[in-house]
Amino acid sequence: MSPQFVDFDGDGQLDIVAGIFDGSPHLVRGSDKGWGKPEQILDREGERIVLNQYWDFDIKQWVKTRDFDAPGTKAEGQCTSAVAFDWDGDGDLDLLLGDYNTGAVFRRMNEGTAAEPLFSRINEVVHAAGAPIEVPGKVATLRLVDWNADGRLDLACGGMGDVYNDDEGGGVFLYLNEGEGKTAAFGKRQTLLAPSAKGQAEPTRPDAGLYMDFADHDGDGDLDMVVGGYSLWKMPEPTLNAVQKERVRELKDQQADLNTQRNALSKRIMEGTEGLDRDAADKLRKERLAEFSEDLSAIGKRIQNVNSELEKLEGGAKRRSMVWLYENLGNGRTAAADR
Amino acid sequence: MKNSKILSLALPAALLAADAALAQATVAMPQFGSPVLLKAGDALLGQDRLYPSPVYQDMNGDGRADLVIGDLRGHMTVALRDANGATFGAESKLQGADGAIVDLHNW
Repeated sequence: MSPQFVDFDGDGQLDIVAGIFDGSPHLVRGSDKGWGKPEQILDREGERIVLNQYWDFDIKQWVKTRDFDAPGTKAEGQCTSAVAFDWDGDGDLDLLLGDYNTGAVFRRMNEGTAAEPLFSRINEVVHAAGAPIEVPGKVATLRLVDWNADGRLDLACGGMGDVYNDDEGGGVFLYLNEGEGKTAAFGKRQTLLAPSAKGQAEPTRPDAGLYMDFADHDGDGDLDMVVGGYSLWKMPEPTLNAVQKERVRELKDQQADLNTQRNALSKRIMEGTEGLDRDAADKLRKERLAEFSEDLSAIGKRIQNVNSELEKLEGGAKRRSMVWLYENLGNGRTAAADR
Repeated sequence: MKNSKILSLALPAALLAADAALAQATVAMPQFGSPVLLKAGDALLGQDRLYPSPVYQDMNGDGRADLVIGDLRGHMTVALRDANGATFGAESKLQGADGAIVDLHNW
């Protein structure tokens, strides 16, 4: 879930737009009082906006659909990322939807107004340089950034890549908006960060599941890039002496016991939520979470300590999520100064 | 948590102006240095979150781009930039107007 801060409804307050793993874009409205409750962004008929797969909260199942495909498309999409973007320059925000399954990007047009959006019901395929966008490694996230300071928002895409194993990781890609009129027209894909080949003995970069954003982080006048994601590395496996082997056994026993305790707590948190409607189940779940939060936190810390000690003793393949900064070394010049 | 609640009340109105400032700095060609890990307080930013997704946003209207981290779980945390401009404070969960954690919960 990558949040976008944007005035979605044109009321002068920033809102939060985000695609989440359930397959739909969501909205958190901002007001003078603060942030509201998350809501699904609906289409002009009041239906959920989805690609081809989504989680149905009522029947608690993944559902597949082709109801919203554009003619001639054979998509298998699951929308897990979304940004609001004025595609046609008409003053209201349309939606770009990223596909976690294939690397495609789709568009829903706002046929209403900023204040009263009416989103179209068909997922139009977004093209770049005349061909459908296909983000290498599938879409992790979409970001809008005026990369070349021409006053037009360009599209940046983070790639998911192989998050668990040795296949190619994710990269960061840019599609410049080369439209000459009001309507966006994306050019060919450019690589900002090449997909990771992995294989390092320690974490050296975000390797997979890349979620990025851009800003002048260090105040030198150019755009830097921050990237969240998983680092995957392989530590050499040391030869353990008898004492160390015994310690590994102890730690694994502790690990199993702690996991059992955590699962039992999770089960207690969910008890009684089956059969309730979504709001009631949420309320009960949150009450239980509050009740058990200290226990969960304590177990989490103990698990972290055990895992950390095991990691040092055992070596082997590791995977951890972190956030990295890529400083732009581009001479510190702004594009405006170049022109 | 107290700090987060203050943030949640002060947020959206102040943010639009900061966005404009952030949009000023843009370069044509990327030439990135080696990546460095970011910290929030004493911890690594976003460490062990499920698919941490950072976004720059001035969350307290001080003119500095803070970092908001979303995750698969549907939560967002805020790491405010320190006054020195170089480091970030510890992450706190984004709260709504009702004081509850903003939760875009999933399946």
